[in-house]
Amino acid sequence: MTATIALWISIFLNGLAQVLLKKGVGHSNDQGGAPASWWLSLLKNVWVWAWGLSFVAATALWLLALSRLDISYAFPLLSTSFILVALLSRLLLGEFISWKRWIAILVICLGVILIAAK
Amino acid sequence: MNSEAASSTEMAPVLVKTRAFQVADLSVLGSVLLAALGHLMIKAGLNGAANAAAMHASIVERLVVYFSQPYVLLGLTIYGFGTAMWIFAVSKRDISYVFPITALNYVLVTLGGKFLFAEVIPLKRWVGVAVVIIGVALMQSAGRKGSR
Repeated sequence: MTATIALWISIFLNGLAQVLLKKGVGHSNDQGGAPASWWLSLLKNVWVWAWGLSFVAATALWLLALSRLDISYAFPLLSTSFILVALLSRLLLGEFISWKRWIAILVICLGVILIAAK
Repeated sequence: MNSEAASSTEMAPVLVKTRAFQVADLSVLGSVLLAALGHLMIKAGLNGAANAAAMHASIVERLVVYFSQPYVLLGLTIYGFGTAMWIFAVSKRDISYVFPITALNYVLVTLGGKFLFAEVIPLKRWVGVAVVIIGVALMQSAGRKGSR
């Protein structure tokens, strides 16, 4: 019971972390690479820190959950994070997700479930 | 570098666009590849240390054994470079576009399990590998431009 709750919190934090990272690094111009000053500025970026903390917490909860749950049960559920990130990116970042992109996301989820499920 | 980029924008905007596509999208694939490679190296290191770790009763001592394995440390370093590449990729693309592509990690780890660790992969998992690849191809064809 507690392991299942830890698992779902882990999955949620894992998805949230990606959206926090995107919030932090923004939508930079397509051209060129990233200068050293850009990398250093990430250290002062509160969203990037939030990403790191969420990621660490998600990983810790994931290991905690896996110590109690069957991996063939936990891994397929991880695919829900692809849907979660899409929903959160739409709600929190205003990303537009076309129906073609939704189909692609669902196909990828199906593939992950097939790979991971027993 | 800036002036060069500016002049090439004037002369051949299509070329610049193509190069930008390569930098950002190769970094997506690169980060997935490095993450999978990192995972497989860590796995190799843990496999090699299993007997040495079993001699210790406490978790802390076992962790010391694991983290002193060259393959584990190398794997973590590679994983770190993969993460940096991932941050770069996320800054260039929609998160709802790049994140699902990381499912290729499952494909690479499956292939690594088969060819590096001689694991037996059931047919259903191969079907899953194919479905993920189709999904990523659909994602590419759906277009990376979505956000306004």
